[in-house]
Amino acid sequence: MKPLLFTLKAEPDQRLDLSLLTPDRLVGRSAKEIEGISIGTTRETVTVGDLFKVRLGEATSVRFDGGSDRFDLLGAKLLPGFEIHVEGDVGAQLGRSAKGGTITVAGDAGPYAASQSAGALIDIYGDAGDFLGGPLAGEIPGMSGGRVIVRGSVGARCGDRLRRGIIIVEGDAGDDLGSRAIAGTIIVLGEAGERIGYLNKRASIVLSEQRALGPTYVDCGAHNLGFAKLFAKSLAPESRGASRLLSGRLQRFAGDTAVYGKGEILVPA
Amino acid sequence: MSNATLDGKSISSEDAYEQAAKILQEASFPLVAGLGADVAGAQAAILLAERLRGAFDHLASRDSLTDLEVLRSAGVFVTTPNEARVRADLVLLVGPGLQSYWPGIFDRLALDKETIHGGTSKRRVLWIGPKRNEAKLDGVEIETIAATEQDLAGVLGALRARVGGRPAALAPAALKKIDAAAEALRAARFGVAVWAAAGLDPLIVEMLQGMIADLNVTTRFTGVPIGGRSGATGVLQASAWMTGFPPRTGFGRGYPEHDTWRFEASRLVDSGEADAALWISAYDGEAPPWESDDIPLITLGPPGSAPKRGLFIAVGKPGENYDAVEFAQETSSLVLRRAGAPAELPTVAEAIAAISAKFSEDLPC
Repeated sequence: MKPLLFTLKAEPDQRLDLSLLTPDRLVGRSAKEIEGISIGTTRETVTVGDLFKVRLGEATSVRFDGGSDRFDLLGAKLLPGFEIHVEGDVGAQLGRSAKGGTITVAGDAGPYAASQSAGALIDIYGDAGDFLGGPLAGEIPGMSGGRVIVRGSVGARCGDRLRRGIIIVEGDAGDDLGSRAIAGTIIVLGEAGERIGYLNKRASIVLSEQRALGPTYVDCGAHNLGFAKLFAKSLAPESRGASRLLSGRLQRFAGDTAVYGKGEILVPA
Repeated sequence: MSNATLDGKSISSEDAYEQAAKILQEASFPLVAGLGADVAGAQAAILLAERLRGAFDHLASRDSLTDLEVLRSAGVFVTTPNEARVRADLVLLVGPGLQSYWPGIFDRLALDKETIHGGTSKRRVLWIGPKRNEAKLDGVEIETIAATEQDLAGVLGALRARVGGRPAALAPAALKKIDAAAEALRAARFGVAVWAAAGLDPLIVEMLQGMIADLNVTTRFTGVPIGGRSGATGVLQASAWMTGFPPRTGFGRGYPEHDTWRFEASRLVDSGEADAALWISAYDGEAPPWESDDIPLITLGPPGSAPKRGLFIAVGKPGENYDAVEFAQETSSLVLRRAGAPAELPTVAEAIAAISAKFSEDLPC
């Protein structure tokens, strides 16, 4: 069966809050009801019907034909068993606090993608902005489960306060990769910016090349890590590059010793 | 002579208020930014943003949010400069240019005088990462730990690691120096770290505060933050008691929503999301940070600071041309500053009230 389809009619002239348009929240609603949902964020009212053509479909799946960097909060609080596909770009907070489910974005995502996501599988085929997986201002933990793959590059502070789960970046990462990470895994296949793993408590950050790290990462030598090879196998269907990187011999740097020193940065030996 | 201009040409104040009201009222999502003002001015500006269902931001919110970010996501130890003055037996200065952010800082901390409630008579003063030739003060022996702006974060991290007895990957000479500093911090009976968020970033402040928390396991250690320019701390407090949030808050949906990314002033203007802007910089006429020239712009600033483009209304300098309540760095509290040089200029709050008086009745809410 075909998914519930939203076809974008015009570029939005304000930021949109699309948190209400997840499949789990639209179950059993008529097209007319859906078109009446308010998605504006300023005093100019905007409803779904103003910007999208709606075609009903399967209850568990939603598709957006056309995107915009003003599509905020898409897939927020998504539940397990549901899926969203966007043929275009999205704005801030993609998959924010998602409990599960699958989100794929063909274009770019804005800042705070997968923010506090707790279990969704999120695939971004373009680039993602700053604070991928991170908490919003004032919140304590970041992403706490699930898996995010960015086929392009990400901005600064990727994996900030990551608590659990896997982030794979196939392109480059900006500065402060894995800042304040509590636990979890971050893998970057391209180049990473300055100050990697600052305040990292016990997360694993895997880089594709050797490089200078700050004084709070201590060289622990090269290893053949059994778990990394097992992990590599499980990642193979989703990211062959990440799988290949983890299959090889890895040099381990323990840190950030300023905090616990129980985290690590792994690079090919 | 009129104190208002339109595209650089003089116009009457009445016309200026009228036009300002028209610009703001016609906008779908106006921005009230700058907010370089005393508490009354900030209150008027925030109420205006709420009435127009726009957003507001302060010109130094990057700095006040740097400290706030650490406070609300990790926790901080802070005290007042006066408490530091009478108790500190060790002062740790962090980062370059502290005196440029607060010229009176070393006098207030009385680094050259003895601790009053101290025990040990002579204070120890350490400075991590001062600028070249900056760490000099008459009557004070300042021990420096060199760090460029780029490696300040790493040096501070290494210091925290050594305070906790954990390893750091440094050459023996550098490690010896860091170890000596770590030992000094641990030996302090009441240590105080002083930093200015304007010269640092949230991760460095979090690292520093984390180290202070570590030190508090065995001794007393706290911090003195140097706040942002143009009344940033006072505006932050006013914003908090009015909306529950700091600047970078919007009222687009009729209730306050805080988002440090979405409501950042230059992003709102450069993305075209805001379609009119009121820029307030009453202390020094600082120019807006955005690049776009298209947005209809109203500027409130001291006489002589009129931009070439848009509407300008001159206002007095808070605490100088009119009595003003503002945040005082010296006491870490709001104080009333009497005008030293009263002038026939409207206050920020008066200018905003005069604009609001020209709104037509049909303005929603």
